[in-house]
Amino acid sequence: MIGRMLSVELLKIRRKLLWMLAALGPVGVIGLQAVNYGLRYDYLMKLYGDSPWEGLLRQVGSLMLPALFIGLALVASMSAGIEHQAGAWKQLLALPVTRLQVFGGKVMLSLLLLLSSCTLLLLLTLGMGLLLGFDPQVPWAEIVRQSYLPYLAALPFIALQSWLSIVMANQALPLTVGTLGLVLSMFSVLMPAWMPWGWPDRAVRSADALQAAGSGLALGVLVLLIGYAHFARKDVS
Amino acid sequence: MKMMKQASGSWLLETKGLTKKLGGKAVVRDVDLRIGEGDIYGFLGPNGAGKTTTIRMLLGLAKPTRGGVTVFGKSLAANRMEILRHVGSLVEYPSYYGHLTGTENLEVIRRLLDVPKERIAEALSIVRLEKDAGRAVKGYSLGMKQRLGIAAALLGNPRLLILDEPTNGLDPAGIQEMRELIKSLPGQRGVTILLSSHLLSEVELMATKVGIIRSGSLIYQDSIASLKARTAGRIRFSVSEPEDAWKRLLELGFEAERDQSRLTVGGAADRTVASIVAELVRRGHSVYRVEEERSSLESVFLEMTGTGGSL
Repeated sequence: MIGRMLSVELLKIRRKLLWMLAALGPVGVIGLQAVNYGLRYDYLMKLYGDSPWEGLLRQVGSLMLPALFIGLALVASMSAGIEHQAGAWKQLLALPVTRLQVFGGKVMLSLLLLLSSCTLLLLLTLGMGLLLGFDPQVPWAEIVRQSYLPYLAALPFIALQSWLSIVMANQALPLTVGTLGLVLSMFSVLMPAWMPWGWPDRAVRSADALQAAGSGLALGVLVLLIGYAHFARKDVS
Repeated sequence: MKMMKQASGSWLLETKGLTKKLGGKAVVRDVDLRIGEGDIYGFLGPNGAGKTTTIRMLLGLAKPTRGGVTVFGKSLAANRMEILRHVGSLVEYPSYYGHLTGTENLEVIRRLLDVPKERIAEALSIVRLEKDAGRAVKGYSLGMKQRLGIAAALLGNPRLLILDEPTNGLDPAGIQEMRELIKSLPGQRGVTILLSSHLLSEVELMATKVGIIRSGSLIYQDSIASLKARTAGRIRFSVSEPEDAWKRLLELGFEAERDQSRLTVGGAADRTVASIVAELVRRGHSVYRVEEERSSLESVFLEMTGTGGSL
């Protein structure tokens, strides 16, 4: 059933540019880094002297987070927006599918799209490093960690945005919340460890990256459950 | 209510005391719908009377504040998935993914219903959309979108079809087409249909049974024939020298009324009409016209639903 819901969601985003949006984030991040390295190659190489890979990862990480925050809000809004635009909630929920399947399908679509973004970012980072002639001894563990731990740490926001975008026909509020999240996340260094807006950042660079990702996963699941409970009770108009 | 005699459980769809309160106000109050197998049930009421809210509850889209819905002899609340597999619906306006083609729109629903792929072609041919199935739906006319909505509702071979205002917003040709489509369904496919409308004239041509809802309460529910029987006929005579003719009829004991050149006699049997005509002719009146004047169903409907305001 999960496979069927996802296949339906994927069918619905045909010709909707959602895949393009998912690719736009990583391509933009790496594009900017290409400019960054093009302009100050010597300075950056000197700065990260003995570990150019780590330097590249740091640089990519700093741009990746805002892209992730705004990207997840846009993806959640666009995937729910397909139903709002079509007036399709009533049709969907009058079919023999459970509300959990409908809600789950939407969340899975957003998760899948963002996971593809993270994977594309991984590949592009790798390509860029090799192109710049870095040591072919690629620090795989570091690259994989940086590509996917922030994704897990951002799960509470993916869950929140999916929830808001699904239950509200007007996407202005969800997108505002998403933008505020982006702004807040920029002050993550000033935040105490318990504030979720700082977790994706922690998941990129700090020693407690795994803990941040784990917290994100746990809180994300909790927010999803609350969102689902709300959606399940809601009358559909 | 003679319908009450039929044993409960023999109805295809039945609601008991169905009530929905929104913001403390009951928009649907104690509605007891009873729809038999094979009926085309016309669910009538002015706009805002609670038709769509009721239908939402029949589909599990809204939860009743009180009361319950039984479909195919089972409680909807407890057997939602099983029941909905055999129900097709089109609520208010058609749902469609504009960027997808007609076929892709049906494919979305087909995957969720898990029915064979052939059903798409069948449904498209029932609503005669085969030619346009490959085009993006945003380019469809409203009538075509509505037909696509019906095709979507028919995809799962439903036993019960719930159509909310299926002719809303269509032009006369579209309405005609939709009407013929709906009428053809029960015969061909054994479907029971619940059809809502704010126009009696609309439903009168299709329905076998009607329910009328006003301000949230079901105020009438019976066969269309009984509703028609409520429209008593009057016979109207147009004659020469009406004044004379009227007096003569009164002398003979007919309860005739005169309105300028016309005389009307209420509820007259065939034989009475014949003897009136004979008498008038014998007295040398020219009889120009003998007409039956029925108060229209529309006016009965208006009378029952109160104001004609939102019609």
